[in-house]
Amino acid sequence: MTYQASDKPSIFLGDNLKNVNLHNMTGESSSSALSYSSGSNALSHVYIQYPPLRCHVPASRSLFYDDGNKLILALTPNQVFSWKTATYNPYAAPSSDQISEGPVLSIRYSLDLKLLAIQRSSHEIQIWNKDTGDTFSQKCRPESESILGFFWTDCPTCDIVFVKTSGLDLYTYGTESRNLQLVQTKKQSISWYIYTHESRLVLLASGMQCKSFTGFQLSSAGIIRLPKFEMVMAKPEANSNPILAAEDVHIITVYGRLYCLQFDKVAMLLRLYRFYRDAVVQQGSLPVYSDRIAVSVVDNVLLVHQAEAKVVIVYDIYADSKVPISAPLPLCLRGYSRASVASFHTSTKTSGASESKNLSATEETIYGDQWQFLVPDLVLDVSNGSLWKISLDLEGISASSSEVQLILEFLQRRKLDAEKAKQLSLAIVRTIILERKPVPMVARAMDVLLAAYSQAIKTGSYNKRSITEEISPSNAPNAAVGETITGTDVSRSINQEPKSVTQKDSSNRSIVATSESDGSIEKTETGDLLEPGLLGGEDLPAGTSQTHGPTNNQLNSSATQRKQSAVTSSAATSPADFYSHVFSPIVEEMMGDGSYLTAIIAEFLRSCSLEKLKVYPNTYVLLVQILARDERYAELELFIMNKIIEHSKEVALQLLDSGRQNQQIRKLGQDILRQLSLHHDYVLLLVQDGYYLEALRYARKNKVTTVRPSLFLEAAYVSKDPQHLAAVLRFFSDFIPGFKSSPDHNTYHRFVAELNSSVTG
Amino acid sequence: MGLTSESDAKEAMKLCMFDLRRGQTEGQELDKILFFYPADLPITNQLSVIGLSEGLITFTRIFSPDAPCEVIEAEKHCHVFYEVEADIWMVMVVEKENPESIWRVDALRSVLKEIHSLFVMFHGYIRALVDKEPSGGLVRSHLYYFIMDFLSDFSIGKKLQLPNFRDSLKEQGTLQMLTVGREAAIEVQSLVTLLESCVGNKQCYSMTMFQDLLVSTNLSPIDTLNLFTYAVLRLTPIALFRGASAWSSLRKTDTACSTYAGALQVTSISAIDQYYNSHDPPSLRRHNYPLVRPLQHSKWSKGKDGFLTTDIWGTEVNSLLPMCPTIWLHLTEEKMFLLAYQHRGLTVILLVPVSSVSGDQGISMLKQQIIENASLKMLKVEEKLSRGWGGENAYHVSGYRYLLVDGDRYVSRASPPGKVTTLTKESLVALSKLREEVDLEKARAKWDNSGREKDIEICIRAKNNSWLIARLVRGKELYMVLEKGSETLLFAADATEKFSERYCNGAFSLD
Repeated sequence: MTYQASDKPSIFLGDNLKNVNLHNMTGESSSSALSYSSGSNALSHVYIQYPPLRCHVPASRSLFYDDGNKLILALTPNQVFSWKTATYNPYAAPSSDQISEGPVLSIRYSLDLKLLAIQRSSHEIQIWNKDTGDTFSQKCRPESESILGFFWTDCPTCDIVFVKTSGLDLYTYGTESRNLQLVQTKKQSISWYIYTHESRLVLLASGMQCKSFTGFQLSSAGIIRLPKFEMVMAKPEANSNPILAAEDVHIITVYGRLYCLQFDKVAMLLRLYRFYRDAVVQQGSLPVYSDRIAVSVVDNVLLVHQAEAKVVIVYDIYADSKVPISAPLPLCLRGYSRASVASFHTSTKTSGASESKNLSATEETIYGDQWQFLVPDLVLDVSNGSLWKISLDLEGISASSSEVQLILEFLQRRKLDAEKAKQLSLAIVRTIILERKPVPMVARAMDVLLAAYSQAIKTGSYNKRSITEEISPSNAPNAAVGETITGTDVSRSINQEPKSVTQKDSSNRSIVATSESDGSIEKTETGDLLEPGLLGGEDLPAGTSQTHGPTNNQLNSSATQRKQSAVTSSAATSPADFYSHVFSPIVEEMMGDGSYLTAIIAEFLRSCSLEKLKVYPNTYVLLVQILARDERYAELELFIMNKIIEHSKEVALQLLDSGRQNQQIRKLGQDILRQLSLHHDYVLLLVQDGYYLEALRYARKNKVTTVRPSLFLEAAYVSKDPQHLAAVLRFFSDFIPGFKSSPDHNTYHRFVAELNSSVTG
Repeated sequence: MGLTSESDAKEAMKLCMFDLRRGQTEGQELDKILFFYPADLPITNQLSVIGLSEGLITFTRIFSPDAPCEVIEAEKHCHVFYEVEADIWMVMVVEKENPESIWRVDALRSVLKEIHSLFVMFHGYIRALVDKEPSGGLVRSHLYYFIMDFLSDFSIGKKLQLPNFRDSLKEQGTLQMLTVGREAAIEVQSLVTLLESCVGNKQCYSMTMFQDLLVSTNLSPIDTLNLFTYAVLRLTPIALFRGASAWSSLRKTDTACSTYAGALQVTSISAIDQYYNSHDPPSLRRHNYPLVRPLQHSKWSKGKDGFLTTDIWGTEVNSLLPMCPTIWLHLTEEKMFLLAYQHRGLTVILLVPVSSVSGDQGISMLKQQIIENASLKMLKVEEKLSRGWGGENAYHVSGYRYLLVDGDRYVSRASPPGKVTTLTKESLVALSKLREEVDLEKARAKWDNSGREKDIEICIRAKNNSWLIARLVRGKELYMVLEKGSETLLFAADATEKFSERYCNGAFSLD
């Protein structure tokens, strides 16, 4: 493994990760890296932003995370408070429901939020109907089985699934009978299970070492049974067999693909398994430097938290590359200072003394034992009830990598903070041009960005920008937008996968992925690898699923707030962006290096034509300016003749302007005007250059009547040729009705006489 | 061998170059002569030609100091004057008696221009050479071999075939360009960028050609023209093929042939020397200058690595590797290495400053780099260009025989030669006359009002009922011959209009 940004890649090959060398190293690397970072002072690639969401109510006993609805639930003896985390807002106020007293092992709302299920013991789950207030209990046989847990599902055949040591029980909730009806039982002995609503996947562990797995995906498209598979575990010594624990297995969703990560503590490896419809394939492993790790996914980027080393390693599992995006750095707490704590106090007016104490302790508790990592990108500090959202520092990441092409590809895949990614991408290109990096390198960078843009246009995610803006206030929640984009991304990722994969995984062996796609368009675009039937909607957005109507209303409440962030949903950079953010700002600075800049722009044009993109006209104007400024007229002519510079009025005018010093360049501008049938400008130009007779002929042929006669007359008068002036005068008298009575006619008639007399005299 | 029958050749044409600053004292007249063809003309005859020319120049200077004598039209001869450098003149004397000898002065003068500009590209200015060695031996030997090699290209059978009326739909001293689509043009530009990046930070120039046509260059117009002319003569695939097969076959079959060209080819340098020694002033006899003959035939070949090689510039002292060719840039007077890479129809010429490359080792490193980085791209570009190319008749427009000249950019395009030959002699002669008139008109306009371009439009119905059309619009010229047209002037105007709209972006349709 190598770190791209590192000057000393070997540092991390050893296992002595937990030392301060980290800081030295990254300090070096970022100073040697590109210098477009404008952001954080602290070196970090991943951060949590102060303030956190305070999930604390007096007398609360415990906190739960309901990942089906993305709610944090805090329990008091007779109440449950819930905070929505789907859209992370640290100042969100909780809503609450009454519950009856008693032990709570687990608690989850149904997906329509009408029912609340509470696991009271290993034999009993209580369900409370919010609307009617009815409560009933579902029990199992205590002597033969116990309930490991349960979850609600949007599967069409069942509503709630109980996971018991003897297997899965699938129930539907009868709105009439107001109780659960058993639909199906899947018998199997289960040691423990993991489920994430994001993936709709439940993995059931069994066997002595708990490393044999079966799995089901219960999505809106139905139930899919995964083939049974074994996880690989290294043996520490001959006689002992380690037992796999639930916390060592993680299900993640990146780019719409499902993976399972298994932490092999003996081998110190994080093994990757990818789920296909009919197979589970191990796809390499990632090294681990800590006995305790956690996994988050932010914007399809995998973060492996090395809890003991207190660093996080960032992977972009897009291609087969298992190389980290950047060097490991600590998780950073941002926006935290005494002052901000104080302001936070005054603004929120929550009771105070313990707060600041807790907060000041936050820095020390990073990766502490109280930290629970929630799917996909949240951290719950159970000790003081703070919920943090993990974010990527794109600036930091891009600043610390010198592999321009890779980092640009990485940035282009970012959807969460697409605007930032876009700005960073452009800044990177700008910087490498300013640093006069070799042309082929810059060309490759531009290729990456324009290919991504063209792809974004084809899949429609780029154009969704404007659509999103229009609809977001009315109906579609931000979440839906985000999901849409992810959905598009799925199709993209699959389309771009190597052909060999496509052929190998023929359509019947497609991914068991919960593509978060909301539209039928995406479904068809996803190609043969993703079966449309498999597409399950997570937090199904408004309008696509009517059964979830009430939920949507709740989600929609804050939709208008979120409109801002919805504006940009793609990091794609259009040719116009290139002009306004790359070429135009640097042209002055690159004054003395016209040939380099010309080469760069030519490469840009090549890239555009490769992707069949339309070039922003001002780019051509700029190119003309540069060439003319360096007096490279021959090349400029060639560019115009070959239409490398596409003809437009702007280009023509620039040529005329630049052609003040060079008659031939001026002629080129004239020719373009004529070829584009910009008759008025052309005639005007001819007159200005003193070719008034030609101008008249041309004006007559092309019926140009917009040029004032006085201009022709004036030009003819300046030439001091009475015959010509008379001819022009005659022309207008003949062809413009009423000209004879105009003041122009009288004036110039007199001039003709004067000229005549002076000639004869 | 071959030297006895010079009478044939010497009658047809005389070509001399002389320096007015030399030999101004009586008895020293010979010193003026820098070059004379035919070299075996008696010295007295040579001196009389030069004396007449010098006299005319001196005389006409009295009236027109800036532009003295340009041409003498005598009954049987025509003298074309060209001042190549200050006080250095070239004079070409052609006969008028032959039915084929209908000349257009401007076409002949452009031959002189071409000789000089090519010479300067390879050897530097004549004045500089004269000053370098005042005895004149250096410049004479350079000029001799250079011009002889140059003239050999004009030899057809026993005669030198100078551009006459049959070439009136041709413009000497212009570039012929390939029309490429935007995509291909961008691809070519990208290749140029890549090549430049191979050279590194040093300023370098490139010229890309496809077959005999120019595709792209970043050289100044004059250098482009010179290099293009040379490339068409010696470097393009067609030129190489000619050099390899046609010429050698000619040589095989015609060993005994007594033409000048045959003699030059058959004889080795020493033979030429013999020939030379027997006829020339003694000053030339003792030359031992390192001779570079860039126009020598069959000297270029394509190497295995795709680069064109030649031993014209000699070989390195301690190895058998040929030296890299060098040329001088016109504007900057900078000496450049010339690297030519060829892949099928594509020829890419790269000029790298001599000062920036450490000798031939640097050159071979550069070549290596180009092969590694750019050869694939050249392959792609060649493919793209050849896919878009319509063959040698690509620019034929049926029904028309035309010549398009863009005087600003030294670019011309004409009906393919094969199509021009279908015209009758009358048409061609008439066109030649017409062009002569236009040339005069152009020259007059140049003197009359500086800066303003004169638009000219001429339509002539020739004796053989063909239409001859000349149109000059804003620096662009169009000449056409329409042989099978109807007799109204309207037809001619329409035909011109149609042609202009369709093939010239309407450049010639003003009314």
